Amino acid sequence: MSAVAPTAITGLGCLSGAGMNLAESMESLFRNERNPHPPVRFSTDHPASYPVLELRDEFKLPLDEQESVYARTSQLALAAALEALADAGWDESSLRGKRVGVCVGTTVGCALNCDDFYRSYKEGAEPGMEIIERFLRSNPAAVIARHLKLDGPVQTVVNACSSGTDAIGLGASWLRAGACDLVIAGGADELARVTYAGFSSLMITDTEPCKPFDLKRKGLNLGEGAGMLILENEAVRGTKKARGYVLGYGSACDAYHLTAPRPDGAGLKRALNEAFTSAGISPQQISFVNAHGTGTPDNDRVEARVLSEVLPGVPFLSTKGYTGHTLGAAGGIEAVFTLACLQRGEVPANVGFTEPDPELAASPVTQNTSITGEIALSESLAFGGNNSVLILGQGDA
Amino acid sequence: MRMAIQGIGVTGAFGAGVESLRNALKSGAGSPKPSSDTSDAGLFYQASVEGLDEFFPKRALRRIDYFSKMTLLSACLALKDANQLDADRSRTGVVIASGYGALKTTFDFLDSYLDFGYACSSPTHFSNSVHNAAAAHVSIQFKATAPSLTVTQFEMSAPSALLSAQQWLAEGRVDQVLFGAIDEHCDVLRYCRQQFFAAGEQGPLQPFLFEQQTAVVGEGATFFVLTPETESAKYAHIDGLKLGNHLVCPVQLPQKDLLILGADGHKECGRLYAKALKSKEAAAYAPLYGSFPAAAGLDLAVAALCLQDRTRYANPEATSTTPQAHQTLETEKISCLKFGPGGDYGLTQLSV
Repeated sequence: MSAVAPTAITGLGCLSGAGMNLAESMESLFRNERNPHPPVRFSTDHPASYPVLELRDEFKLPLDEQESVYARTSQLALAAALEALADAGWDESSLRGKRVGVCVGTTVGCALNCDDFYRSYKEGAEPGMEIIERFLRSNPAAVIARHLKLDGPVQTVVNACSSGTDAIGLGASWLRAGACDLVIAGGADELARVTYAGFSSLMITDTEPCKPFDLKRKGLNLGEGAGMLILENEAVRGTKKARGYVLGYGSACDAYHLTAPRPDGAGLKRALNEAFTSAGISPQQISFVNAHGTGTPDNDRVEARVLSEVLPGVPFLSTKGYTGHTLGAAGGIEAVFTLACLQRGEVPANVGFTEPDPELAASPVTQNTSITGEIALSESLAFGGNNSVLILGQGDA
Repeated sequence: MRMAIQGIGVTGAFGAGVESLRNALKSGAGSPKPSSDTSDAGLFYQASVEGLDEFFPKRALRRIDYFSKMTLLSACLALKDANQLDADRSRTGVVIASGYGALKTTFDFLDSYLDFGYACSSPTHFSNSVHNAAAAHVSIQFKATAPSLTVTQFEMSAPSALLSAQQWLAEGRVDQVLFGAIDEHCDVLRYCRQQFFAAGEQGPLQPFLFEQQTAVVGEGATFFVLTPETESAKYAHIDGLKLGNHLVCPVQLPQKDLLILGADGHKECGRLYAKALKSKEAAAYAPLYGSFPAAAGLDLAVAALCLQDRTRYANPEATSTTPQAHQTLETEKISCLKFGPGGDYGLTQLSV
């Protein structure tokens, strides 16, 4: 492929365990705060307790009675989308007549894993359809489109943990193709008992706060949240200042294992190369990397190896110590953080990292660090062997 | 950009392989069976994964669930149909659309901890229940190292995913796309449909009775080998597609194309077809494979066969206003229209 034109980002929105909006999140990140704790929203009989990063507060959306049934993932998606739209200067009425696309990544938001309903069904209790109706009405991308009465392509990407990153890359391509004028793109996921049980069964969750890239890392902490970007074509944007640019996107599959990354990182390298090619830039132009950095032994080993080979000496960090691993939301939240850090000229410390692992060829930043340059990179690795990379550019002053 | 359909692989109640689908179109006969042993359970169009061991040793499939087996079988059949079973696939993208994902495995995972406690949750069931597991199995088995994408958008899954496949080809990220649409049936789904549709699903599925609930559940998979436009598409070209919401901005139907509806006996969507069609004539083939979100992929396969055969196959459940016999196709273009219950639509146009 060849280089593609930059796509303007005009609005950002996010909420997670790090904060209820972007401004609050950035303040919290640069204070190096985090608050993992046992899950409050659900319980299990699992003998071990794994800390999670839940939203700090409840959030309230302007939903009518019919919309109040939306599942939490979709409400998170909508909350971040509304923040991003407001940031970009849009409201529902001003979007009328525009071709607006919605591309959202998720995992939990599309899974029919309603265990309370299923338990009742297994017991022969003939449960009612309320939970199923909620599921059928709660496709995250469709909820945003329905709430805002949009006309345009709608897509929910379920590429596991790279879903949010892929959704942004795909949304930018829709704009380039002229499929729409504006795209709401990002990711959303809620904490759920099913994923909590699933990740613990894989033995890749830590019983303590996670330690991305640290010698004593034992696994991830789950989190929840959403991160959304508003992408606009030049005709719609006019003279509006951009908050940033999607410069490039790359994706490749390991074709190696269902849950483990390919040890030599060949898929991630290919995704990086594709992202550099599509952005028309060289690795030397990258000022920092927002790594996937889950805190699992395998992920961090592969990622550190590839970063040391492809981007030697470039500062990198994982923000999952602050947010937990928000799965399908991670790529959206981390793209928002990456753009906000570019704007600020500073990245926060990789919280949780204290002791370098001699097996890893590179270590993350250990304190809040000033950065120079106008281009950064956010990467996601996922179940299924997906590797996805966004190259993001600084906005207009 | 236009995409060329170079291979098709299908499995459904009509059998496996594109010739099975063609034969079903010729005979006009669907074959729903009883959904379970209980007489009130309704009918069900059941697919089969027989023939998969032609392509893989049993050992390679031992931890792969039924959903992924349907996926792999159809993908193999599409590659075989395109004469590409042994080709290098380092620049083949994988795009999969599913309305619900691997339902049986999702519930198998819940069984593991509901029956035995959270400490006994099954890692195998969990990892296979993740929505992109089927795409991962395809990539692993075929060594397809280009991008992989899975989309879940209920009825809109296939047209929505097709948009992204088109973009990958247009931007040169891949040389071809293995594009699939899959859904499976399971007992929980049967229970839900019984609750939603009290009259049961006894058939026949009559897609043109728009105001009546006649849906009969099905399952199946469709795969296409898609390349950028060439002069020699084996079946047809996909000229373009449009996605939007009919209730916000009504869909503009092409006047001269044959229209194939994704109508599948759900009255909630049927009303939308009736409203959009007005007096325009159309075809619908869901009575051959049943009602499930990913059947939109089979509608595309039918359109491709009609174009290749230059035949408008008779509607399986003909009405007084639809042809009851096969006819020569009098148009160069076919459009497939799929509605979701919220008014969202996908309109995919194919041509020779």
